[in-house]
Amino acid sequence: MIPSLPFLCFITDESHSPVDLAGKALEGGAAMIQLRHKSANGDQLYQWAIAIQALCRKHKAIFIVNDRVDIALAAGADGVHLGQQDLPAAAARKLLGKGRIMGISVSSPQEALAAEKNGADYIGFGHIFPTGSKAKTNDPVGPESIADVRAAIKIPIIAIGGISGKNALLPINAGASGIAVISAVSRADDPKKAARQLVELLQTNYEHCR
Amino acid sequence: MSIDVPAVLPRLCIISSGNDPDGSGLLIRRQIELLRPSLPCLMQIREKHLDASTLFRLSLTLKAAATGKNVLIILNERADIAAAAALDGVHMRESSYPPDRLRSFTGRMLIGKSVHSAESALNAAQSGVDYLIFGPVFDTPSKRQYGKPQGLDKLGEVCGAVSIPVLAIGGITPENTPRCLSEGAYGIAALSLFSDTSRFPGLLTTFEKILYS
Repeated sequence: MIPSLPFLCFITDESHSPVDLAGKALEGGAAMIQLRHKSANGDQLYQWAIAIQALCRKHKAIFIVNDRVDIALAAGADGVHLGQQDLPAAAARKLLGKGRIMGISVSSPQEALAAEKNGADYIGFGHIFPTGSKAKTNDPVGPESIADVRAAIKIPIIAIGGISGKNALLPINAGASGIAVISAVSRADDPKKAARQLVELLQTNYEHCR
Repeated sequence: MSIDVPAVLPRLCIISSGNDPDGSGLLIRRQIELLRPSLPCLMQIREKHLDASTLFRLSLTLKAAATGKNVLIILNERADIAAAAALDGVHMRESSYPPDRLRSFTGRMLIGKSVHSAESALNAAQSGVDYLIFGPVFDTPSKRQYGKPQGLDKLGEVCGAVSIPVLAIGGITPENTPRCLSEGAYGIAALSLFSDTSRFPGLLTTFEKILYS
């Protein structure tokens, strides 16, 4: 279910209307949307999830809910994305069954291997570059470290953290299957155009690689 | 209206303090230790500030602590964590998503819901929850941010509107509990009342008399 071409995952940000932004990212060609909102209440998250899931169906994209396995199941999302502070992967997998996608955030080859063993379908690896979207205490891992993770696991890697049109090819060339962005789309003057430019960049690069 | 009660729903609900510093569940474990077989109890974990992995570990710890005790462990809001830890139930906030969306993965777990009006109580009951918590019935410092207490008349209205059990919350004491029961409440829920473990055994004795005789 994870796309085979290099793809764009858009993660909704905390301060904007997630449904509108998800719609624009999808129109721009994003293949995966992750609903991530830490401060919204359950009803609000559920309503957003239902709306974004419908948009993703229309665009044949994958819809993932961050942290809340319950919201993902209630809204019929395609899967969940879990951080290291969220429900443990093995416990989440039991709730999700085999049919749904489970992504896990990791920041080292060891964590990537553990995620794969515990049933992850993909990993989010980062943060690759310095980023202001999430509070980070550790240093960026750098695009070159993707090769170590690629060597450790078989499941797809989505690179995250400080990715923009200026550097999006580096993680792909280092072995990532896709890139995940927040502010590169959400804070762009034209989010749809920003998403489209990223997607075109990734897929042009793919053609070059062939 | 006759009350349709899940086979084992306790009439007493103790809610955690909400300020567990690290998710160790020290106070809740002490409270569980002090419970007695003759007084069934719902213990609701409500620690909104803890992340999901900490809540999951706390759930497993409390489930183990509850083994052999006459207590059901319920987690506030996070049905996924409750199900993953095989807890006895989940308690949904009024502002949560429709509870009928939960049954596919919660199985036979109890589902409770907080309500603050008769209309909301009716909607919740129709969506298939097992019990309601209504309040604040009386004045209580922890609930003042939500406005004036609703009073006994509103409690009576809610209890009359639904056929599932209603637990009264907000400023509950042994003294005013009989008045809640007279309005049709199935039982009571409280938080700060039970936070002083030195008074806890005495309170249990009092509530056992009021709720089960």
